[in-house]
Amino acid sequence: MNKIKVYLFATLRDYAGLKTIDMEIPNNTTIAGLKSLLVKTYPKLAPVHDSMMAAINREYASDEQILPLGAEIALFPPVSGG
Amino acid sequence: MDLPTIISITENSIDLDQFLTQVTSPSTGAAAMFTGMVRGETKLGKAHETEYLDYEAYGPMAEAKMQQIADEIRQKWPSVEGIVIVQRIGRLFPKTPTVLIICTAAHRDTGVFEAAHYGIDRLKDIVPIWKKEVGPDGEFWIEGHHIQRSGE
Repeated sequence: MNKIKVYLFATLRDYAGLKTIDMEIPNNTTIAGLKSLLVKTYPKLAPVHDSMMAAINREYASDEQILPLGAEIALFPPVSGG
Repeated sequence: MDLPTIISITENSIDLDQFLTQVTSPSTGAAAMFTGMVRGETKLGKAHETEYLDYEAYGPMAEAKMQQIADEIRQKWPSVEGIVIVQRIGRLFPKTPTVLIICTAAHRDTGVFEAAHYGIDRLKDIVPIWKKEVGPDGEFWIEGHHIQRSGE
């Protein structure tokens, strides 16, 4: 199993009601797999399932990327700084 | 030669003069500065009023992406000397500067305008910062139009 930390921002944090989630997930889980797992655990995230962006260890990640062991993951809506 | 790069995510007010001074060296003859502020009255598109914006950042990644933008600017415009990229976060009210980009160079025609323009566009596209808008019609998170991709 892979112990990861997931940070949620903006709408995702509001919907889930949590800033961070510590999770144990099967090895070789992808970003897409993690998103599905999270939406199952926190159904309030369902509306943003398809639009959430992901970062692995502070770099943008695509759905098919596999989560490295002990990774720092962040999930969030499209950025809106400035 | 000393080429200062200043990257900051801050809850403090943005002192434009102080940042400009930090990227002005004896060889500097031109600075392009962009600052954006909270707009209290929006007239374009869906006209509305804004009471304040709540900004938040994924701090460590935001600073890394701002450094990446500074590196990209130096690659594209090698004549740029000093670079400032600052984003203020927290609760910000109309007329308050929220973001600052400065690029300095020896002369104005060496790309400083384009470099600063690139800096703000890129910040809005790839730096993980979000803002929630609060006004008479309630509150809602603003979502950017750019989809961030792996490798950006």
